[in-house]
Amino acid sequence: MFDGSPEDHIPVPAARTSAWRPVTQESPLVRAVLIAVALGGLAILVVAPLIVVFAEALAKGAGEALRSLAKPEALSAIRLTLIVAAITVPLNAIFGIAAAWTITKFDFRGKAFLITLIDLPFSISPVVAGLALVLLFGTNSLIGGWLVAQNFPIIFALPGIVLASIFVTFPFVARELIPVMIEQGRAEEEAALTLGASGWRVFLTVTLPNIKWALLYGVLLCNARAMGEFGAVAVVSGKIRGQTATMPITIEMMYNEYFSVAAFSLATVLALLGLLTLALKTLLEWRHADQLAATRRH
Amino acid sequence: MHIEIDEIAKTFGSTTALQPVSLAIPSGALVALLGPSGSGKTTLLRILGGLEFPTSGRVLFDGQDATGLTVQERRAGFVFQSYALFRHMTVFENIAYGLRARPRRSRPPHAEIERRVTKLLELIQLPQIADRYPSQLSGGQRQRVALARALAIEPRMLLLDEPFGALDARVRKELRQGLREIHDTTGLTTVFVTHDQDEAMELADLVVVMSMGRIEQVGRPQDIRARPATPFVREFIEA
Amino acid sequence: MALALRLQKSPMPGFGLGMGITLAMLSLVVILPVVALLARGVSYGPEAVWATINTPRVWAALYLSFRLAFLAALFNLVFGSLLAWVLARYDFPGRRLIDAFVDLPFALPTAVAGIALTALYAPNGTFGSIAKSLDGKIAYTQWGILIALIFVGLPFVTRTVQPVIAEIEQEVEEASATLGAGRFYTMRRVILPMLLPAALTGFALSLARAVGEYGSVIFIAGNLPMKTEIAPLLIVIKLEEFDYGGAAAIGIAMLVISFSMLLVINLIQIWSRRRIGHV
Repeated sequence: MFDGSPEDHIPVPAARTSAWRPVTQESPLVRAVLIAVALGGLAILVVAPLIVVFAEALAKGAGEALRSLAKPEALSAIRLTLIVAAITVPLNAIFGIAAAWTITKFDFRGKAFLITLIDLPFSISPVVAGLALVLLFGTNSLIGGWLVAQNFPIIFALPGIVLASIFVTFPFVARELIPVMIEQGRAEEEAALTLGASGWRVFLTVTLPNIKWALLYGVLLCNARAMGEFGAVAVVSGKIRGQTATMPITIEMMYNEYFSVAAFSLATVLALLGLLTLALKTLLEWRHADQLAATRRH
Repeated sequence: MHIEIDEIAKTFGSTTALQPVSLAIPSGALVALLGPSGSGKTTLLRILGGLEFPTSGRVLFDGQDATGLTVQERRAGFVFQSYALFRHMTVFENIAYGLRARPRRSRPPHAEIERRVTKLLELIQLPQIADRYPSQLSGGQRQRVALARALAIEPRMLLLDEPFGALDARVRKELRQGLREIHDTTGLTTVFVTHDQDEAMELADLVVVMSMGRIEQVGRPQDIRARPATPFVREFIEA
Repeated sequence: MALALRLQKSPMPGFGLGMGITLAMLSLVVILPVVALLARGVSYGPEAVWATINTPRVWAALYLSFRLAFLAALFNLVFGSLLAWVLARYDFPGRRLIDAFVDLPFALPTAVAGIALTALYAPNGTFGSIAKSLDGKIAYTQWGILIALIFVGLPFVTRTVQPVIAEIEQEVEEASATLGAGRFYTMRRVILPMLLPAALTGFALSLARAVGEYGSVIFIAGNLPMKTEIAPLLIVIKLEEFDYGGAAAIGIAMLVISFSMLLVINLIQIWSRRRIGHV
């Protein structure tokens, strides 16, 4: 191809002086269309439902919304949801730290399989998870029957709701911590050990400060999901009014009984919790982007 | 192709990358833009390739104003510092890319594309690697594939940004010779950017020493060595 | 446990404790329940399991769940990638706020999303009344289910693809242009193939989520057998009838189909990742 002069084939086009833009950018028109599609889609798909929650709750005025939240049914739901989260989130945080420590600080066979098992709940329907718990701990199962005889029922009671919440939030904390701890390596812990620190001291003074933001991030996501879980809890809770009805379950019951304002008022509380979670999460991402960078890459 | 740079200046916001500079590059020359980082040499190269637009001034190809030409219209074979190979394509697909990207009427038929890629692989002395992916190549092999990919479009000139920067010393020496040979075979006007004065002096017909967005001296390697025009040039080539 | 957890000697403390907590929680919460589910299927008998699944109503529900989940994930693949591109590449007022809003479907409980979407798309709702004036119906049809599934899976693709877009070297796009390619050609031949593995990951996550989704769907679905009844709802119905064997049978069917689908996606992903090499 270098036999002839390559200049022969294609002539130099006449120079133009139209607006020049870097080759890595789309034309302003394409850019405007893409932004419009993205924003429009997001407004319809995500923002509109959020606005509706508030609008429906306030349909008969703020007073009516607040009164419906003060009803015993709503209050007991809020209390139960707080209790469930207060048990689920710490247990999950402990598990997440233990799992991340084991997986990132040691080499052992079967590690990949262990990670797969931890991720398993992401690919199981919450309803199937609830079903599995019912089959294991329900009154007509071996373990469940015995536990009921000991006066410690699990299904249709608080422990079942907690187990279901842990199941659906299982990978949250571990998944945030593992990439961060892999990135940080083991050198700092090893250095602390050579300086004579005990295992706990190493964890508390070296590891924990290095992972605290990622841990908080995982805890936030875990908390939001634990407070909002519906499918798995619907199956294991038995939906006993005033006893095992969490906030999402109570919303369903109110909605099905055509107490729209009450349902949407309670939904507003959860929506505000969701917005708060988003705000804190975003704040963490802005402030501690360095530590969370590993997390967002996985 | 004869390249003329006429009073080209470039500012990015408030920082000046290039003072107005002028330079004539004779057809078929092998030219080094030599200078420390921040001297404006890469900016000048990117303006030649159409990747940056000058704040003022003109670029002329064979006497015609080429300032407003798009990157695609310029047909400059550009070799990037990181090589920028497409990692999801084989070596063959990488080299064939520019031919396949042509509009249908000027796109060569499949057999012709295959013939040209094979010929280019022979030119860079790597005939066996057509089916490999970039991640399976050594640094030196990647550089040569990037060169072949740039040559495949039948460029009017060859522009290389620190073509040896990412290589270890031994491979670097080898590939210098390779670039010289390819230049001599193709006869293309070739401009490369380097901060390594040995490389510039050994390889180029013409060396352009740059500093702080200005051209300090233009000349043949031996002339620059014998008669540095400014204190900066003296210091830089002695370093 | 079938895990061969043989530790290489390490000076780091805490292996026993960490592994102990990990395995205890994993067994109690995940492994034992799933084993109980499978055991129930075995004790129910393969014929009974098959007889439960092999009814028109169950097939219709499984088909509906997987078909709509696939369509929703497909929509999210396209729209999520576009959203990721816009957020990663373009600067416009409010970009960071909008970026934060992408995660709303993760933060908003599904039951809340369910009643909100129903209120929007019911015939007397804001969007539903528009559809009604055009003689269409969204809520209580498969369209309603599709919208709910799109909602819950929306962030996955965006969040997996966005960091990959940010990591694309500018030089790669410039190289394409210097070789004569127009922007559209570069997009199609260089950028999209580079995003593909991450987009597939997001697709798989979105699909897995949509297949099992319950809370956001049951309100808007209408739940008509054979028409708008999703598979998870059938499990709930069986449980309410105390038909544990039947519920287990459908649960196992869902698990088997989900895992086969995810396996196929994983294989495609391994294949596409291998082509790209190191990533």
